[in-house]
Amino acid sequence: MATSFKGKVAIIQFPGVNCENETADAIRSVGLDADLFRWNEDPGLLEESLAVVLPGGFSYQDRIRAGVVAAKDTVMDALSDLASAGHPLLGICNGAQVLVESGFIPGIHWERVDLALAPNIMEDREGYYCNWVYLRNEGSSCRWTRLFLEEEVIPVPIAHAEGRFVTRDEDLLEQMIKNGQIVLRYCTDRGDIDSAFPVNPNGSMENIAGICNREGNVLAMMPHPERASWLRQVPEDICGIWGKKRFQAAGDFSRMEDEGPGRRFFASLLEKGPVSASSGCSGQAKEGGR
Amino acid sequence: MLKGTVRITDRTDAEVAESLKKRDLNLAVSEARRVCELLGRDPTIVELTIFNTMWSEHCSYKSSRRILGEMLPTKAANVVMGPGEDAGVVRFAKAADGDWHCLVIAHESHNHPSQLLPVEGAATGIGGIVRDVYCMGAEVVGVLDPLRFGDPHGENAGQTISIARGVVDGIAQYGNALGVPNLGGDVVFDEGYDDNCLVNVVAVGTVMESKILRSRVPEEAKNRPYKIILVGKPTDDSGFGGAAFASEDLSSEEDANRGAVQVPDPFLKRVLSVANRKVLEQASERGFSIGFKDLGAGGISCVTSELADAGGFGVRLDLDQVNVAAGHFPAAVIACSETQERYAMAVPEEFVGDVLKIYNEEFDLPHIYHGAGAFVVGDVTVEKKYTIVSQGEIVCEAPINVITTGISYDRAKKSRRLLFKEPAGQDDRSLKEDLLKVISSVNIASKGHLFRHYDSEVQGRAVLRPGEADAGVIAPVPGIAAGIALSVDGNPRYGTIDPYQGGALAVIEAARNVAAVGAEPWTITDCLNYGNPEIEEVFWEFYEGVRGVGDACRGIGLISHEGDPLPVVSGNVSFYNQGESGKAIPPSPIIACAGVVKDYSRSRSIGFKESGNTVYYVGEPLDELGGSEYYKVIYGELGANVPEADFVRERNQIRAVIEMHDLGWVRACHDTGQGGMITALAEMLVAARTGSSVGLTIDIDEFSNTGLSAEKILFSETGGFVVELSAGIEREVLALCARVRVKLHKIGTLNSRSNLEAVSGDKRLAIWETEELRDAYINGCRGIFGIEKGE
Repeated sequence: MATSFKGKVAIIQFPGVNCENETADAIRSVGLDADLFRWNEDPGLLEESLAVVLPGGFSYQDRIRAGVVAAKDTVMDALSDLASAGHPLLGICNGAQVLVESGFIPGIHWERVDLALAPNIMEDREGYYCNWVYLRNEGSSCRWTRLFLEEEVIPVPIAHAEGRFVTRDEDLLEQMIKNGQIVLRYCTDRGDIDSAFPVNPNGSMENIAGICNREGNVLAMMPHPERASWLRQVPEDICGIWGKKRFQAAGDFSRMEDEGPGRRFFASLLEKGPVSASSGCSGQAKEGGR
Repeated sequence: MLKGTVRITDRTDAEVAESLKKRDLNLAVSEARRVCELLGRDPTIVELTIFNTMWSEHCSYKSSRRILGEMLPTKAANVVMGPGEDAGVVRFAKAADGDWHCLVIAHESHNHPSQLLPVEGAATGIGGIVRDVYCMGAEVVGVLDPLRFGDPHGENAGQTISIARGVVDGIAQYGNALGVPNLGGDVVFDEGYDDNCLVNVVAVGTVMESKILRSRVPEEAKNRPYKIILVGKPTDDSGFGGAAFASEDLSSEEDANRGAVQVPDPFLKRVLSVANRKVLEQASERGFSIGFKDLGAGGISCVTSELADAGGFGVRLDLDQVNVAAGHFPAAVIACSETQERYAMAVPEEFVGDVLKIYNEEFDLPHIYHGAGAFVVGDVTVEKKYTIVSQGEIVCEAPINVITTGISYDRAKKSRRLLFKEPAGQDDRSLKEDLLKVISSVNIASKGHLFRHYDSEVQGRAVLRPGEADAGVIAPVPGIAAGIALSVDGNPRYGTIDPYQGGALAVIEAARNVAAVGAEPWTITDCLNYGNPEIEEVFWEFYEGVRGVGDACRGIGLISHEGDPLPVVSGNVSFYNQGESGKAIPPSPIIACAGVVKDYSRSRSIGFKESGNTVYYVGEPLDELGGSEYYKVIYGELGANVPEADFVRERNQIRAVIEMHDLGWVRACHDTGQGGMITALAEMLVAARTGSSVGLTIDIDEFSNTGLSAEKILFSETGGFVVELSAGIEREVLALCARVRVKLHKIGTLNSRSNLEAVSGDKRLAIWETEELRDAYINGCRGIFGIEKGE
């Protein structure tokens, strides 16, 4: 009865996740096949997969701390082996929390928990926050962002209560920057880095929205690209190029069904071969706008 | 004599009353005697507890059923299932294979629990209503939450704010974790809710017509053995007596009632809904007919009796097979407790093993949630008898229709005669200040801060989100252009002045909201929130409200099906909404309207789009400010001239606005209910995209034919629409409005000055910079839900 994941993207369905179906739809929209992998199925099935995605939601009810129970699940042992071997692995929102809690991210010391996704710090409010934000692609060697231009601004929604990347280890932050691991940062619609709410919607250090491992095959991101994979999903009041596209598509159903800003995260899987090392991390080291 | 028999027949009324009270039962003595008559003997405690729930107002609609049946239209060309099922179903788009995409909708109240325990009460409200939609075989694609709280600046401010925050938290916690987007809702603050908040919840789902499940044991059970499976959370005593509690006055014994509020668990619900889907898919693939129903009020006894009786069968239940939480619970508690997150199904015996395997092994319920799981708890019987066995002894045995038939009352009604008068008015009012006061009032000001606690993006279907337009819009089915628009409405002040208009206007306003995004009003649900129906004046308010709802549904009708009413497919009645003071809430019929838009890409946000476009007013303001936001905020009075529902006018206006959308003319559209025309214009300006420079000048002389003062023209709550249309089509617009017989006023052309100006000919009445309007609008609810910068 078990599904074969050969050539497919496997989406890990821990109990309590709730974004698995639309994540599968977004992956299918780029022409790839995707299927759900129930957490207690045979992890050996994942070996043939094209990539693995940990979707958003509330795995294991966020018991103890978001992501921490799933991080101890046996399926993570298999994912550790796959990720170490260079298999593409993406954690979105709760999936990002799992990757941080399992020590895959930042992964400089593999499986050592060096980072945390702490409760949001916002102005005049606390807890859960759902809104559209702008991300800046920092031009790294990440497997999942290579279709974006350097410093490209990407509107996507966030929806979380614990999305603030923090570490106490300042050296670690520097190392991550140096390694080009900080791939996505919250910015204004023009791409400026402003640490104030709501541009930085959760108080994340350095406006970090997404971090990859050194090798670039594993990415943990708090925003939801699957909710920005069609133009119709983009709100009318979004600024910039995507806002303009959305505005022009109003009244034209077929254009509204075109791709949205987040789809390229998934489309990046269509690119064969390793990421070019030369793309570097030039955007990262810039001080401007901080 | 059965075990646990309670002696009634040979006892005096006083003794019976005492005995009922001792057992925490709300049955009237006459009702207890009626139970004896029906059974032909004294009942057991289990039976008495079952009747206590089944005959509660919440479950039996004993005061309301007749009136609802007489007044509300439930049949129309699009209806697949109306009231009577857990949720209503209408068709909305035909699939290529001839099957129909259907919309499933249900609407309920969770008022009393939310007043006592706001977080849990509101969360279980969401939990209960989504089950009603899931159990039709549908996928839940959204929830909406109409909320009514007390005066946040009044005597009870502290409690009101804490309840409001708790309720929002509860809705967010449950919906967000379940993965169901919040698509809208409304919030009204009024001192009439100081002691009794209203938390209504609406859930919407989609299903193919051929896959709709029935909440009944299938016909097939005549030919082969069927088993009853109970799945979900272990049964405990939480929510024991919940339905009966919802049918009582809120008393000072509040603490004693807290146990009657259920404990929500969205995590388990999520896993259950994923596992359910697999069970339903397998049943469908293998050709097994099954019956499926959620456990709500009345728990196991209610669900199993209704499931079996609806199919014409009986049931024999063994309570010892029910998975219970740690502890010992009496049979009556196991049979009737309202523990959340449970479903019951009737499945053929040969499918039982597979069903148990899916829940208990594949989705591993017993390990991911302590004590959860799926268990066989009984047999379907051809004999139409309802039997419960506990520890080998029969504790309930009756013809099944005796259990489910219910009870009905004819309540007396008496119209109340209250005098309302218009405020005296003042000549020296500042229009400038007045608008700023109105748009910063708690009932108009932005609720953006609140919406952002809710996940509106999950499932990826949202096109227009809460706050972006008069209705939320989703693209429910990938690849098809049809969209679903959703809105809720109900203004308590209209109902206070005139309960009939309160009901009619709630329907009209909800319908107008979906029309404002180009959708045809397609179906409504009603949640009728009133005080104690045993009070004649209160029952009259209820009667009038239902009459108004029914008339409006017939009056507006389905635009595309001449002669068919706008059908009411689901609903709920909530009585006994009153606090310790004994004062009933304002009459509060709350309507949810679902609309269908042919092409969601034409649905636009309310924000003004581009200078050069033309702004029109569809309709005409009348001297109808009774119950208005303007009177309340400026004069602190209700007024008397409540808007009067004119169904023909409303139907025509709705048609005109939908046609404008279909023709691709509409750039922005907003209906002018609460706050009137000038408030609508201000909101459209504030909602314009950051960085875009648009402004507008309105000349009230355009409305001089009404003979009204400036303040009445600008703040009248007579229904109308403000529309921004593309430029250069004036002649076509006029022709359309003449053809469908609606009044049209041209307000002006959008300029690029980022302000709103009101003039009368050459004379300037007031000018507001967009920024100052935005500040007033964004900050109005500061202190209740906080404030959000940059919105």
